[in-house]
Amino acid sequence: MKVTIDGKNIEAKLGETILEAAKRVGVEIPTLCYSEAFGGQGVCRMCMVEVKEGERKRLVASCTYPITREIEVQTNTPELQEIRRNIITLLYRRAPNSDYMKKLYQEYEGISVEPVDPAEKCIMCRLCVKACEKVGAYAISAIMRGTEKRIATPFDEASPNCIGCSACADICPTGAIIVKKENGKQEIWHKTFEMSRCENCGKYFSTLPVNEHVKEQLDIEMSGENLCPNCRRKKLASDIAEVSVNR
Amino acid sequence: MAENSQQTADREVMSSIINRYPPERRFILAIMQDLQKQFNYLPKEALQMTAEHVNTPMTVIFSMATFYKAFSLVPKGRVVLKTCDGTACHIKGSTIIIDEVYKILGIRPGETTPDGQFSLETVNCLGACAIAPVLLANDRVYPKVTPALLREIIEENRGQ
Repeated sequence: MKVTIDGKNIEAKLGETILEAAKRVGVEIPTLCYSEAFGGQGVCRMCMVEVKEGERKRLVASCTYPITREIEVQTNTPELQEIRRNIITLLYRRAPNSDYMKKLYQEYEGISVEPVDPAEKCIMCRLCVKACEKVGAYAISAIMRGTEKRIATPFDEASPNCIGCSACADICPTGAIIVKKENGKQEIWHKTFEMSRCENCGKYFSTLPVNEHVKEQLDIEMSGENLCPNCRRKKLASDIAEVSVNR
Repeated sequence: MAENSQQTADREVMSSIINRYPPERRFILAIMQDLQKQFNYLPKEALQMTAEHVNTPMTVIFSMATFYKAFSLVPKGRVVLKTCDGTACHIKGSTIIIDEVYKILGIRPGETTPDGQFSLETVNCLGACAIAPVLLANDRVYPKVTPALLREIIEENRGQ
């Protein structure tokens, strides 16, 4: 399937999204709510591009638009720049407390606005919700509607489903999800978890429910040792080294 | 926590409403509408039972329950005051009525008095613009409401 992206002729796979195809040939399309792990969500609209088919031109979200025909794509027209500038302005207005948005706001020369809540960091990209779903916990989601929309656990209470893995906080681009770590305990989403210590280096590295969850998910007998990712890597490396020496 | 007969009866009603529908995700909205109609709000327990019935995470149910204005998560008062805030009533001073309700009862739209007597809601048009501003107390219509009349209306309904 022959497609042109910003004048570059490329061969795209059927059903591949414009964003994926562009990435492959080194054309950068800005995104906020996209993660390779989850695919396109079509939430933030930063990745809008212009698609030309014959004489027809239209704007689409490149992260969710599958290539099914031969099309011509423009990723950086003045019209698109204006759209991105508006998106960044509005998101900065919503989440002025995030350094990530502050930087983008300057970069895109956003329009002067009065922030809604000076303490807010969340831009509602929903990567955290996706991450939570992928983990299999289903502890958080977007609640309410319109300007009141926000990410929360049901009833704003500690969710019985939350395992404290903090995948939501790790993926959050703006640092909006608060994780409190102290004295071998981790607090997130109104819930406090006991941390588990690495047998080797003694570092706290994951919550107890996460260990249980991993065991359930893997469905295989884990080695008896409880190691942090760093020590596990070291141990694996030394095991492999030993095997190759013995050969 | 000791359970009284009211709670047991409520739970039976909840489960009979929920079990009217096949355990499929597409019936969540219909179940919640029936629950709202029965209880005037969505009790937390009913939502948990719904989630279990349709085998769907609570997050999904809660997102839907908070998305639609037709659902309430807090119990409504015995008397639900609905002030019309449509164009005609708005021009005729419905905001004054809303402020006046706050002065008398201390509740804003969407809230309920601590004694569970009154709730306040705004609606967008009752189709009675000729008698604006209109107030509805449960199903009774009060035309051309003024702050003075509002006090009378509230007193009248309080005594019920």
